[in-house]
Amino acid sequence: MRLAAAVAALGMLTAACGGSDSDDDNGDSAAATGGDLRIYSSEPAFLVPTAADDEPSIFVVRQMYRGLVKYNQDGEPEMDIAESIESDDNKTWTVTLKDGYTFTNGEPVDADSFLRAWNYAGNVNNAQNNSYFMNRIAGFDEMQKEGAKKDATFSGLKKVDDSSFTIELSSPFSGFVSVLGYSGFFPVAQECLDDWDACNKAPIGNGPYKIDGEWENNVQIKLTRNEDYAGEDKGKPDNLIYRIFDDVDTAYAAFEGGELDVMYTVPPNKLAEVEQNYGDTLLKEPSSSFTYLGLPTYDKRFQDKKLRQALSMAIDRESIINAIFDGALSPASGFVAPNFDGAREGICEFCEYDPDAAKALYDESEGITGPVELWANGGAGHEEWLQAIGDGWKSALGIDYKLKVDVNDFGAYLKIADDKKFTGPYRLGWGPDYPVMETYLAPLYTTGASSNNSGYANPTFDDLLKQGDGADSLQDAIPFYQQAEDLLAEDMPVIPMWWGLTTVVWSDNVTEMVHNPITDVDYGQLSMSS
Amino acid sequence: MGRYVIRRLLQFIPTVLGAIFLLHYLTSLSIQLTGNPVRALFGDRRPSEAQMSAMADSLGLGDECLTRVGDPCIGLYFERLNNIFLHFDLGTNFTRRPVTDIIADGLSYTVKVVVIAIVFEVVVGVAAGVLAGLRSGGFFDYLVKISTVLVISVPVFVLGFVIRDLFLVKVGNWFRDSGDWPDWFAFGVLSPVYKPDYPWASLIIPGLVLGAVSLAATARLTRTSILENIRADYVRTARAKGLPEKRVIGVHTLRNSLIPVVTYVGVDFGTLMGGAIITEGIFGVPGIGREIFRAVTQHQPSVVLGIVTVLVLVFLVVNLLVDILYAVLDPRIRYD
Repeated sequence: MRLAAAVAALGMLTAACGGSDSDDDNGDSAAATGGDLRIYSSEPAFLVPTAADDEPSIFVVRQMYRGLVKYNQDGEPEMDIAESIESDDNKTWTVTLKDGYTFTNGEPVDADSFLRAWNYAGNVNNAQNNSYFMNRIAGFDEMQKEGAKKDATFSGLKKVDDSSFTIELSSPFSGFVSVLGYSGFFPVAQECLDDWDACNKAPIGNGPYKIDGEWENNVQIKLTRNEDYAGEDKGKPDNLIYRIFDDVDTAYAAFEGGELDVMYTVPPNKLAEVEQNYGDTLLKEPSSSFTYLGLPTYDKRFQDKKLRQALSMAIDRESIINAIFDGALSPASGFVAPNFDGAREGICEFCEYDPDAAKALYDESEGITGPVELWANGGAGHEEWLQAIGDGWKSALGIDYKLKVDVNDFGAYLKIADDKKFTGPYRLGWGPDYPVMETYLAPLYTTGASSNNSGYANPTFDDLLKQGDGADSLQDAIPFYQQAEDLLAEDMPVIPMWWGLTTVVWSDNVTEMVHNPITDVDYGQLSMSS
Repeated sequence: MGRYVIRRLLQFIPTVLGAIFLLHYLTSLSIQLTGNPVRALFGDRRPSEAQMSAMADSLGLGDECLTRVGDPCIGLYFERLNNIFLHFDLGTNFTRRPVTDIIADGLSYTVKVVVIAIVFEVVVGVAAGVLAGLRSGGFFDYLVKISTVLVISVPVFVLGFVIRDLFLVKVGNWFRDSGDWPDWFAFGVLSPVYKPDYPWASLIIPGLVLGAVSLAATARLTRTSILENIRADYVRTARAKGLPEKRVIGVHTLRNSLIPVVTYVGVDFGTLMGGAIITEGIFGVPGIGREIFRAVTQHQPSVVLGIVTVLVLVFLVVNLLVDILYAVLDPRIRYD
């Protein structure tokens, strides 16, 4: 492979320890280290795909494992290990696999390797963090019932032969292929499930990189290029070294001291400084993490939608972001992340700041007797912006407010959400599970859905989502989802606040940054130089 | 002496059991009051009852008593004791990592940092104290007095950040770029963060920062103690006997002056273990301090319990050693 040789040759010249702001590299230390890409990471939770559901884990898992589909630069799914995934009715899907893929221990990547992973993840007895993502597969409810058998499997998963299997969903879903690109659907070797803990420490993957040694908890994870990998996207750097830090400020000091090559997430308070010093090697774009202010529609006082609209209109998102977050967020004007297929700019007309119109709407509504209680989990830095919102309401609408930030424990805060005990607007967030706009709609606003904390219940909305799920293709589904989003923009069960900001900064050792709209930085595809 | 040590060792048992019970009770009470911390693992997605209980069971937090406010969970306490002492099983954290592994890994870094700190504190601190004490009122005495006040008055975290961001990053980059310095120095000692390639060298500065405040205290303590003993009768007697000055100072004065210093260092050992939380955070050292901080903020009872139990044991052993040292330093002290 000419490319690999070229990278290796470049690696010889790379001074892995050179100061980041210097041009002349120390030639002595270079030969010893080779093409090591040193990456900032926080401690992952798990390295087995059935359990890894947090960002740092997924960044490592995606280099070590490969799934049925991957996402292209437009965020659309493309076949990866699957040869084809087909369905006539969007309910029963037939998956055919490509030949020739193996795990690093020699086991084949076949139909069983996918089925065993999904059955394991879906079974409540295994308490795997990714069980939730299996919820569309037929038989999920039986697998998740109290008293389910330890070896219970999905009624909806059937092996046809070694290289194909069928998936039956509990109801049609046109976007299902996109869902399969999530790392929770990656295959797992039998040896891995036989000794889960060992596999978590020294994963048995099927991707372009494999682990070198073991996961050194809290210190580092070293991956090295898997020369046996049969797929297209072979790794470029010789080694990926995830250096683990607890604190992003400490990691930034390491980056400045030339200890790191890529830093995903710049400390927000240092953003201005980073822009000045590393402006050419800084990537900044809206992320898909959604922050909203939910309204407890189960509370009588919040049932008038005019009031909800007025509350939203009286919030000056732009000013709050600039004053409190150093501009490191982007204001939301809809309910679906802007980089998602089907998302529309400005569909939420009540997200536009207009204190006079807000006041007019408020006067038309039944109004609310203050003080309105504003909820957030305490100690997490939410007090300031909630206060800014409250002050805005006070001046625009003349209503009093009170902060309710005395619950510090996030679990306890979520419990209040579960029990529908919020007595006023509450802060919560959401991140997408897969790149279909439905991921921002169904779980949050469908009647009785698992993350529907506002108590929103609108049969028309539920129906539109069902029609979208059952459409012939994802493209046909989008209009239905958009109509559903329009309903939200009118009913305002939650007030969209803002989208996060993805920031990546890299050192001079990296010549080309490769960033995917869905899976973010693809470390294995970065080009390095001296 | 042997019987004394055995008696002291036996006293460990109620201390450790008491400490475990206290932590067990407090962590259980916090769960009873604020709800099961396992809920946070599901994030914004509301888990079903079955999912919650499967997760709670797998993490050892499924006991019924954790839902009854005020229940001391005696059953769970004995279950934990049984696991800890009979099976040497301290449970796992929320990502299923055995607490014994967490402690073994973390402690190895923390001990390195603390040992560097203590060596620095004792060697430099005692030397500075002795020199200042012997030349009371001289230039060196003033130097020690002023510099120690300076160090004591600067909080460790301020010192740590300044050293990391200014010295190790900015000055360090100059050393690294110049290329004239050996790697272990420029990339090891001067690394702004802990570096696995240089497991000792990159811990030197964190150790020095951690030991700095205690060093100042040790120096002042030694100085005062020397000043007091140098005028004592037995020192005058030693001089009158015609002993060489080296022996008068080194054996007679210093040995007696060290008793308060040893007491201080013994107590300080605990403070250093605690102070390590801050230094480990600043310099990215994967030690025990960081772990316990994380465990407390995320409400992970088995981790808090496990780490603190080990710390209590370490502390007890160190203080036993200090008590034994008294007898070595001062022949008038006898334990039998």
